[in-house]
Amino acid sequence: MHATVRSVIEASGDTPKDICILDTEASPEHLSRGTAQYADAMLAVVEPYYKSLETGRRMSLLAKDLGLPRVALVANKVRDERELEAVTEFAAKHDLEVAAVIPFDERMPEAERAEAAPLDHAPDAKAVAAIGELAQQFSGNGRGNGRA
Amino acid sequence: MKLAIAGKGGSGKTSISGTLARILARDGHNVIAIDGDSNPNLALTLGIPAERMSDLPTLPRDLLRRTPEGVQLNQTLEEVCDSHSLRGPDGVTLLVMAHPQHAGTG
Repeated sequence: MHATVRSVIEASGDTPKDICILDTEASPEHLSRGTAQYADAMLAVVEPYYKSLETGRRMSLLAKDLGLPRVALVANKVRDERELEAVTEFAAKHDLEVAAVIPFDERMPEAERAEAAPLDHAPDAKAVAAIGELAQQFSGNGRGNGRA
Repeated sequence: MKLAIAGKGGSGKTSISGTLARILARDGHNVIAIDGDSNPNLALTLGIPAERMSDLPTLPRDLLRRTPEGVQLNQTLEEVCDSHSLRGPDGVTLLVMAHPQHAGTG
């Protein structure tokens, strides 16, 4: 399966209009098999506690080893300033970029329980808005930061 | 832009992947969302009902061929998507690598 994922990503379109999003396996192991080799960026989603941050760091190192142009953390389920600080301190210590901070939002697990897309179930949720801001970084339509 | 989203189970990576895909598709992009998890549930976060997943044929095992340049798909990605993907809300194309029926519970 790893070779297939890698080849599918390689074969996906390269114009600014084309976006390919790979939801990877939960274990970091797949990264050492090169599943994300042809990605332009890898985002490691982390929660603001040590074990999660540490997994994110390991994944980031593997992705940097693959030579991905951009590797960053996305801090998810951040409840307060203290948690935000924990993430930014960890990132600074390990020289990692934080691409986005997504606040803890009860409406996300609520959408999951309803077996619905967050965008349909809670389009005005704070977390959805934060993901929208993150999306703009990868938009080829000129509203992002030009990385697309 | 080819974007890999990683993270521990429960980190919310799939909700973020699905929501990013939908928003970028609304923004006018051609979006292919690939569920590479051995326990696939990207469909739900994209807004594709579970019932529709049973229509999705398993990816063939002989999808790859070896060439002097390395391993490649033996058909175009478009052909793979025509026969093995689902079209979700906002026009997102979903490709599932491990078939739900062959994986753990959703």
